[in-house]
Amino acid sequence: MAIQAAVGRLPETPSQVINREKIVDFVFDGKTYTAYEGDTIASALVAAGVMTFSRSFKYHRRRGLLCAAGACPNCLVQVGDEANVRSCTTPVQAGMKVEAQNAMPSLDVDVMSATQLVDSFLPAGFYYKAFIRPQALWPTYERFLRQAAGLGKIDPDSEPGYFDKIYKHVDVAVIGGGPAGLRAALAAAKSGARVILMDDQSSPGGHLRYRMDEIDGLPAYEYVAKMAAELVGFSNVEILTNTTAVGRYDRNWVGAVTGNRLIKLRTKALIVATGAYEIPLLFENNDLPGIMLGSAVQRMIHLWGVVPGARAVVVSANRRGLQAALDLIAAGVHIEALAEMREEPDADLIRKLSAEHVMIFKRTTIKRAWGIGKVQGVSLESLHSGQIHEFPCDLLLVSTGYTPANQLLFQAGGKLRWNEQIHEFTLDMLPSDVFAAGEAAATHLLEDIEREGELAGLQAAQFAGFGGKIEKVTFLAAKVEERRAERIPWTQIHIAEDEAKKDFVCICEDVTRKEIKQSIQEGFDSVELLKRYSTVSMGPCQGKMCNINAIHVCAHYNQKTVAETGNTTSRPPVTPVTMGALGGRLMEPVRVSPMHDWHVKHGAVMMNAGLWKRPDHYGDPSAEVRAVRERVGLIDVTPLGKFHLRGPGVPGLLERVYTNRWQKLDVGRVRYGLMVTEEGVVLDDGVTARLDDDFYYMTATSSGASGIFENMEWNLQSGWSYDVHLLNVTDLRAAMNLAGPRSRDVLAKIIQGVDLSNAAFPYMSVRQATIAGIPVLLLRIGFTGELSYEIHTPSGYGLHIWEALLKAGEEFGITPFGVEAQRILRLEKGHIIVSQDTDGLTNPFEAGMEWAVKLDKQDFTGKASLLMANQKGVTKKLVGFEMPDGTIPEEANQIVRPGNGPIGLEIIGRITSVRRSPTLKKVIGLCWLPTEMSEPGQEFTIRVRGQMKTGRVVPLPFYDPDGLKLNS
Amino acid sequence: MILLTCPNCGTRNVSEFRYGGEITKRPNPNTATQAEWANYLYVRKNVLGVMPEWWCHQSGCGQWLIAERHTKTHEVLKTYVWEARPQE
Repeated sequence: MAIQAAVGRLPETPSQVINREKIVDFVFDGKTYTAYEGDTIASALVAAGVMTFSRSFKYHRRRGLLCAAGACPNCLVQVGDEANVRSCTTPVQAGMKVEAQNAMPSLDVDVMSATQLVDSFLPAGFYYKAFIRPQALWPTYERFLRQAAGLGKIDPDSEPGYFDKIYKHVDVAVIGGGPAGLRAALAAAKSGARVILMDDQSSPGGHLRYRMDEIDGLPAYEYVAKMAAELVGFSNVEILTNTTAVGRYDRNWVGAVTGNRLIKLRTKALIVATGAYEIPLLFENNDLPGIMLGSAVQRMIHLWGVVPGARAVVVSANRRGLQAALDLIAAGVHIEALAEMREEPDADLIRKLSAEHVMIFKRTTIKRAWGIGKVQGVSLESLHSGQIHEFPCDLLLVSTGYTPANQLLFQAGGKLRWNEQIHEFTLDMLPSDVFAAGEAAATHLLEDIEREGELAGLQAAQFAGFGGKIEKVTFLAAKVEERRAERIPWTQIHIAEDEAKKDFVCICEDVTRKEIKQSIQEGFDSVELLKRYSTVSMGPCQGKMCNINAIHVCAHYNQKTVAETGNTTSRPPVTPVTMGALGGRLMEPVRVSPMHDWHVKHGAVMMNAGLWKRPDHYGDPSAEVRAVRERVGLIDVTPLGKFHLRGPGVPGLLERVYTNRWQKLDVGRVRYGLMVTEEGVVLDDGVTARLDDDFYYMTATSSGASGIFENMEWNLQSGWSYDVHLLNVTDLRAAMNLAGPRSRDVLAKIIQGVDLSNAAFPYMSVRQATIAGIPVLLLRIGFTGELSYEIHTPSGYGLHIWEALLKAGEEFGITPFGVEAQRILRLEKGHIIVSQDTDGLTNPFEAGMEWAVKLDKQDFTGKASLLMANQKGVTKKLVGFEMPDGTIPEEANQIVRPGNGPIGLEIIGRITSVRRSPTLKKVIGLCWLPTEMSEPGQEFTIRVRGQMKTGRVVPLPFYDPDGLKLNS
Repeated sequence: MILLTCPNCGTRNVSEFRYGGEITKRPNPNTATQAEWANYLYVRKNVLGVMPEWWCHQSGCGQWLIAERHTKTHEVLKTYVWEARPQE
């Protein structure tokens, strides 16, 4: 049976956002509750009399609804598999399963709350001090800390939700839909600019949505609704509600979140009209459930018709607090007492409150609240006489100050400055494309807010190229004096000096005033250090509730001014963002060859090679190796980088980017080329063929392709002024390698226009021909060590050629082979793979490729580095090895000898490639060894899965050392 | 995210570009001393202020361009191709 509203609802009013016709049921901590459509989880729970929403992070104290604005941590709940959902801004949905967080085992019985009885053992910096020694206990500490740390639960088995990104481009973006933002958006819209308005609540209006006082003859909520309605009429305006802007980055790149969508917005001009946060007051037990901020109470009453108590005490220090007291009376709540901190509060409102027989204490603050599990009474203290007055209550409304929501302005580069006159941080030095308006800019009077908004709208539109000249507006200078009344100077707020009391500065991380004092005494007295040490302002609210209070407490105990104390840095995100929203949909493209579907259909096990999908093998890599060695095989090498180079300057460019010689490559010939960086580090390798006088064809490794192309372009575009035209045809050409002793026989059956005989078409040459009517390029090269032909063709014909070759090869037992077989084949031949066998420091001499470096060339990329390296000589070498006992080490296993390492071993080398060779029937590989150990026959020790194994250096290549197969 | 103006494609997000580093002067590799060559490879001016640097419009037209960027404010004063660079 559903639990019906215990506190009940007020009669319907136009400001309310609930639809009483539609009732939805949801579950909170195993009990079913009833809500109206339009309710948030929090408003429905408060209506049902729920006071405890969560248990606090460190002391597991009960926490209730505090800000009702999505800022504080108190109402964070688990909804299904999603942790840390703000129940006060999340609409109730039928069937929602809501659970309280951090309660062990339950909200009502929490064993961890005992921690507060021993809080003297949990001082600031506790974790840094307590869990260090002895090291042997670290696993135990870890178990404890994992249990204690973090909020909410993550279910690794939960279904991933659908998250995505939205990109938007506008002239003017307005963040915040209160009176300042609405006026700004209207002004910009009228100029013709494309405008977007974002607001984190369910509809625009800001604090006027829940205010009843009259503006221009209308209740505030109607006044602002009219403004919003006018904005809706503009076709050049988009209004996004329930959307939170979380970061402002360079050139007005704004990140915002709405549900499961991350919005990436680029705007010419940005207007920040994010309003202000009402902040808590420091007093003993200031975290008891039933203590709420004035704006939270007003939201509850006017938006959802919920009254959060029956007997209230009000503590006020500004006009809005008194207004909230009047709202309580109108909602039928009895006010036991009203403490007003100011000496001379607003006479008009005091008159109204007196008429309602409210007991008013001027120049009075709250000393402590008390109660078991919820607020049951308060002690008020006169700031004149120190006299104490005690009152029972079930609701304590605190409205004593606001702080501008200026994080986006800070992120934009604005400088925060403490303004002693108005007791708030104000901002200046904003970039020219960012504008501030309203309470975010510490402007409080509605009339000023609206004018400032309108001005910002006009200025932003003008910046974006819309609207005419703006008349100079002079009101801003005058407003400071009027603003003063909005905030009680901190110096008039009493700081308790009692030692053992729980007055929480930071409710996210349970940091008390006492702990801040202690941190300062330990020397963490700068506000940035204090933050990191005590973790104040580092919880889910990111300082929205606590930052100003922490700065004041810090200033107080340092006996400095707030201006001297300064502020901490505000970084994105302003509000916590789900990892899903940040991750979004994977936007990585997948690259496939024209033969991809054939591979999949024929049982290929695919692997990722960069963005490419490649067949790793078709079932048995060893059989594929044997097929190539004994008969003939066919591999798809489409991912190779492929470039057309045309023009008289090509040899010069090749001389420049390769380490070897290119001036005398005859038409029809192919040459291997090695590239290094300017530092002399092996970068890439491939072959280049000369097809015609001024036409060359280059290949590069799959992963190096785009970088190599850009490097060559850089050479051409940075003043070397070669007469070369470069075209990247990687995606336009399919490529496959036909390898094995029978490959010539296969080709002969279907090729036209070329003499395949060894004399006419020798190793390392290139021919153009046709297969089945299709033009192909044949490169006779041999990565596998066999007679082989690399066949390049326009990618649209790739599959056609592939199938024609397989059909022609049937009688010879042709077998498709994958990357794994190719790796074994090249290893048997002793060919390196750049960046597997080499690393970010390898030079060609160490890699045994000195034959590819011509130091007597006039110039090439990396020349000076290689000259120096050559002079210096090599201290390590890449060599071939075999394992006499047949053990197969893993790639990256270390080569060691006795020495001064952690386990009495010194690392002197490593394995880079290793396989069991099906051809040679033994374990072979490549490894790095010190030069003095690199002679064939020398033995060395490898640490393989903790055991010492012996390897022996052997000469390269392992297979066909005289290259008879390649030249056959 | 900063914006760069490609001379061919117009103003785009910097994520479309590859960074090519500070513009350096390459010594003659045949005559450079070790110190000069090391200086060219590894030592950067890293100015606080406007710095000319290489960028490649990698996800666009492939143009290499020079951007004069303020290293603190990220303001890009201008972009141009090599041939249009100011003469020393």
